[in-house]
Amino acid sequence: MNLRRAIYKPMLKLAMERTGHGAALGFEVTKVRRGEVEMTFPYKPEVIGNPITGVIHGGVIVSLLDTCCGTAAMTMLDRPAVTPTMDLRLDYMHPAEPYEPVYVSAKVYRNTSNVLFCRGSAWQDDPDNPIAHCVATFMKLDSPNISVASALRRRLRRLVRGVGTKNKEVSR
Amino acid sequence: MTDTAQLIQTSLAAAKRAANPQAMLDLIPYSIFIGAQAKIENDEVSYWLERRSSNIGNPSLPAIHGGVIGGFLELSASIEILYELDVNLIPKVVDFSLDYLRPGRYKTIYANCTVLRQGSKLVNVTATAWQDDIGRPIATARCHFLLT
Repeated sequence: MNLRRAIYKPMLKLAMERTGHGAALGFEVTKVRRGEVEMTFPYKPEVIGNPITGVIHGGVIVSLLDTCCGTAAMTMLDRPAVTPTMDLRLDYMHPAEPYEPVYVSAKVYRNTSNVLFCRGSAWQDDPDNPIAHCVATFMKLDSPNISVASALRRRLRRLVRGVGTKNKEVSR
Repeated sequence: MTDTAQLIQTSLAAAKRAANPQAMLDLIPYSIFIGAQAKIENDEVSYWLERRSSNIGNPSLPAIHGGVIGGFLELSASIEILYELDVNLIPKVVDFSLDYLRPGRYKTIYANCTVLRQGSKLVNVTATAWQDDIGRPIATARCHFLLT
């Protein structure tokens, strides 16, 4: 494993967990491998979709699966690029159990020159009995602004300044 | 039926009578979490989502998180069902398909929804999101909901 890739993975994990909507949701990235990502989302009353049952909103599952698949897509890149989502299709097999964590996993099953094909699933107690399943496609677009070096510089700057500056960084 | 269920359904029915879709959104914690808003405009419900830092997906652009756009459209679609149809249960989403057409810039997102078909059990709704120009949508979604 080369150095760039060794730095890239923990950086991806931090970027997903600590910024913007990822930080607001508060999930944890538990596994990052080439083409494979896993996350855990603890139950949160702020994201309830059905106030009668306490079940979390489907939008949270959309966010979790989009993030998980998108991160898996990013692990496949060999050069700096961005991977915007082209489309995402989700099937909800059964409602999530309230007050229980949700586990999410995503895999890139096809990597072509322009498009990455991913599938992901979300489950609670049994991975073979998922609450939701999704397929998502991502574009590979070159971006000069998003190089590993510049992202690393931003990350280092933030670490040096400490956690208190997080919101300023986002709103800039 | 529990007290909470009764209370929620009474509030939903009251919001509908008062032509106040915002009151429906306010009953759903996730809606407050992302900051979704709704009002009646020309006899239709229009939805919008003002920018906020907790909805950012890519801080270097910055762009709105794709999952937030999806969640917002799914939420709008379910409110559209509650508001437009003779339904008093929170509909259950069965599937959701989202096409991202343009990046969601860090500003207000607008959305509108159309119920394409209503059966006795299943409803099909499409939702479109845009920012500056309704003719240049940033995402479209279609979803199926169960009414049982």
